[in-house]
Amino acid sequence: MMSVRRGLMLIAPLALVLAAFFLVPVLMLLPTSFSEYMPGSGLAKGVWTLENYTRIVTDEYYREVVLRTLGLGLSVTLVCLVLGYPLAFLIARGPERWRLPLILLVIFPMMLNLVVRSFGWIALLANRGLVNNLLIQMGLISAPIKLMFNLTGLMIGMTHIYLPFMVLMLVAAIRNVPRDVEAAAATLGSSRLHVFTSVTLPLSAPGILAGSILVFVLTISALVTPRMLGGPTYRVMATLIYDEYMQLLDWPSGSALSFALTIMAIGIIWLSSRLTKRWAGMA
Amino acid sequence: MSALSFEQLGKSYGDVAVVNDISLTIREGEFVSLLGPSGCGKTTILRMVAGLVQPSRGRILIGSDDVTALPPNKRGLGLVFQSYALFPHLTVYENVAFGLRRRKVAGAGLDKRVKEALAMVRLADFGQRYPRQLSGGQQQRVAIARALAPRPRVLLFDEPLSNLDAQLRDEMQIELKRLQRGLGITTLFVTHDQGEALSMSDRVGVMAKGVMQQFATPEDIYHRPATGFVASFIGKPNRVSGIVVSRAGKGGVVRLGNAIELPAASLDQPAGTRVDIIIRQEAVRLLSDRSEPGGLQGTIALRSFSGSRVQYVVRLAGGVELVAETASHGPNAALAPETPVVLSVDADSVFTMPSEGAGA
Amino acid sequence: MSPDRETHPGLGVTIAAFAVIVFLQVPVIVVVLAAFSTTSYLTIPPQGLTLSWFGKVLSDPTYLSAIRMSLILAFGSTAISLALGVASAYALFRRSVPGSEAIISFLMAPLVLPAVVIGVALLQFYSLTGLRGSLIGLLLAHVVITVPYIVRSALASLSGLDLAVEEAARVLGATGFEAFRLVTLPLIRPGLVAGALFAFITSLDNVPVTIFLIGANQTTLPVLIFSSVEMGVDPSVAAISTLLIVATGIILLLAERRAGFHRFV
Repeated sequence: MMSVRRGLMLIAPLALVLAAFFLVPVLMLLPTSFSEYMPGSGLAKGVWTLENYTRIVTDEYYREVVLRTLGLGLSVTLVCLVLGYPLAFLIARGPERWRLPLILLVIFPMMLNLVVRSFGWIALLANRGLVNNLLIQMGLISAPIKLMFNLTGLMIGMTHIYLPFMVLMLVAAIRNVPRDVEAAAATLGSSRLHVFTSVTLPLSAPGILAGSILVFVLTISALVTPRMLGGPTYRVMATLIYDEYMQLLDWPSGSALSFALTIMAIGIIWLSSRLTKRWAGMA
Repeated sequence: MSALSFEQLGKSYGDVAVVNDISLTIREGEFVSLLGPSGCGKTTILRMVAGLVQPSRGRILIGSDDVTALPPNKRGLGLVFQSYALFPHLTVYENVAFGLRRRKVAGAGLDKRVKEALAMVRLADFGQRYPRQLSGGQQQRVAIARALAPRPRVLLFDEPLSNLDAQLRDEMQIELKRLQRGLGITTLFVTHDQGEALSMSDRVGVMAKGVMQQFATPEDIYHRPATGFVASFIGKPNRVSGIVVSRAGKGGVVRLGNAIELPAASLDQPAGTRVDIIIRQEAVRLLSDRSEPGGLQGTIALRSFSGSRVQYVVRLAGGVELVAETASHGPNAALAPETPVVLSVDADSVFTMPSEGAGA
Repeated sequence: MSPDRETHPGLGVTIAAFAVIVFLQVPVIVVVLAAFSTTSYLTIPPQGLTLSWFGKVLSDPTYLSAIRMSLILAFGSTAISLALGVASAYALFRRSVPGSEAIISFLMAPLVLPAVVIGVALLQFYSLTGLRGSLIGLLLAHVVITVPYIVRSALASLSGLDLAVEEAARVLGATGFEAFRLVTLPLIRPGLVAGALFAFITSLDNVPVTIFLIGANQTTLPVLIFSSVEMGVDPSVAAISTLLIVATGIILLLAERRAGFHRFV
């Protein structure tokens, strides 16, 4: 048994670094978010206001951005689920010799630099990008269709970025479904589809939930891909925070948005862990 | 001369005492077992000796040195773990060399002593293998060689044979005993297996709930159990609930069920106490002469043959059943069910302990 | 017919799965092709092939200093995170301190918070403390975002360990540190390699924290690519991206060979 003193000595360096360079800075955003922004000079001294928060709900533009962020998170999650499940199923249940190559082909894009992947989608989706070029060459369209700086572009790019996370979570979940339960259902005369919907799908539900939460949280938090594929005008919460800080220098508004985004992310994670616990309690 | 001794050694976690102030002296070269059910504190004692658990009270002496405050690496002991705890990333050779290297043994001296230790456990050719390439029994022997190589002052065993199958376990018992005798090394052996403890040890300490019940030779433990617990834990006991009827001197009379009364030579409880009555199967004798006085009348309910011995379940008056054991050859070796028999029980073999059914 | 045919993927599932695998690789392939293309926008078929973009990138001092900065941050933060993270995970594993659940949650918290929030929080903090634009500030910011990966992989590796193995080393005469160095550390090394690789890549990848903290004449590779894309598509970006793709592929294969990397993902 290690003494408490030695244990504390081992944990202290990291705990101090995280306290000083994570906890304290985040907490210091809190007063900023209740400050009033004075254009040109920064923060108004000694004035406290809730306006930075109320604006997120009342201002039409902010509201649109928040709803867009949530909508994007939801749709990317759903698309990842639909695209990811067959692949995860093949990896988990397909031929043994395919497993490793397939997993590596899923991990590879995931490990790849985010900026590089987003850049790849720009090369594909831009007005003069590969997709439009191809369609024009084939005579299907005469003028480029807008695939970037809108929901389409963001959806495609974000789905690509977060799909590997979903697949890996689903693989783990499907592999946890006991084969003999499925076999039992099959011998009881269930069709293949019925075995899937009545046994495999419900038993992999916790993994589906975990993967969905992960993808949702990652999507609403993302800055790089929405900025690169959405440009400076088609904004989500993270890019709006970026602009508030870097272009508008409106820190109070940016920090209030930051807390809103954080609460959304943590809230979703908290909700899902409650749900998972309830499931576990039922089992 | 004492090789290892405890003085009022105790360990508590919060208010719970897992080892209750135990004093004990182990002689040089002696093989001592601590025997008891799981949770009796025997492993905690071993871990305190090794320095892996800090005692709450008392002292531990190795030879005449007080080692109570020393860290494990300064105690010069050998310890064989239940899980063997071999280093999976090191070869058998390096496993055995580990303790020697910590003692700055190097070069030809190191090589010689590693090979000696491996030869002792008959694994001379296995030095370059990895633990995972060995069978359970071989891993066990590597663990022993590793503990022996640095020539420890005391060798400690924590349930070392419990992961082996029955036959291998019997072989290892003999091999271990021979090794220990040959080296004359003081050994403390922790086990829950009475067979192991009785067959290998010079002396056995039987423990229950952190308390040393009896510390004596295997013969004394078996034939003269000091407490009802020891009697119930050693051998194959009959356990029947009953009551202390009367007391006379050290002993008295107990009643099994509601009809059968037996004299007992030694009793701890006053008359009227509900108790569990412990009678060894081997102490229940089948009498050939059915008219002998003091015999208990009964009929054979079940016969069970186990090689050299035969067990009979005998139904007595009031539905009380006792198991009697006898040799599997001889006059009483083949009694059919429903045969009337007479049992005799020696007063010296009747023990009592607090009733478990009666509640606290 | 195999007895459990019912639970095997059918042809439809297999085709859909392979389509998704192709989808995952498409932008990667496009970037590589673009790097060798003579036109600034990629066409199919490519108008011509050239290596000149690579030459341009590798002689551009802006790119070179960005690469250097990225590598310093990635190696530096991974090393610091390894030291701090493994020490903490080890203390937690030995259950030496009370409240380990809460401590673990705290150490993992930077993974839960949106990176951009950490970025702006540190921007304000560094502006007040004068750390903005400093190497040490950047390095510690990267430690904050990489250390959860180390803690996670170290805890996972340690949890599979038999505590008795380290005790055996102690009884055999090893000091506490020797037991850790000679026994525990070698046993958790594969998990740590995987964790360190994650940390390294996370640092090398990071934009949302870094971009708020760099000084006027500093930049990292991803931040440089991120900002140059705003100016339009430049084939030299494709060239440097291709180098990153190749490096990532090699590292991934090595990690798989050495440590069975996919088991830790």
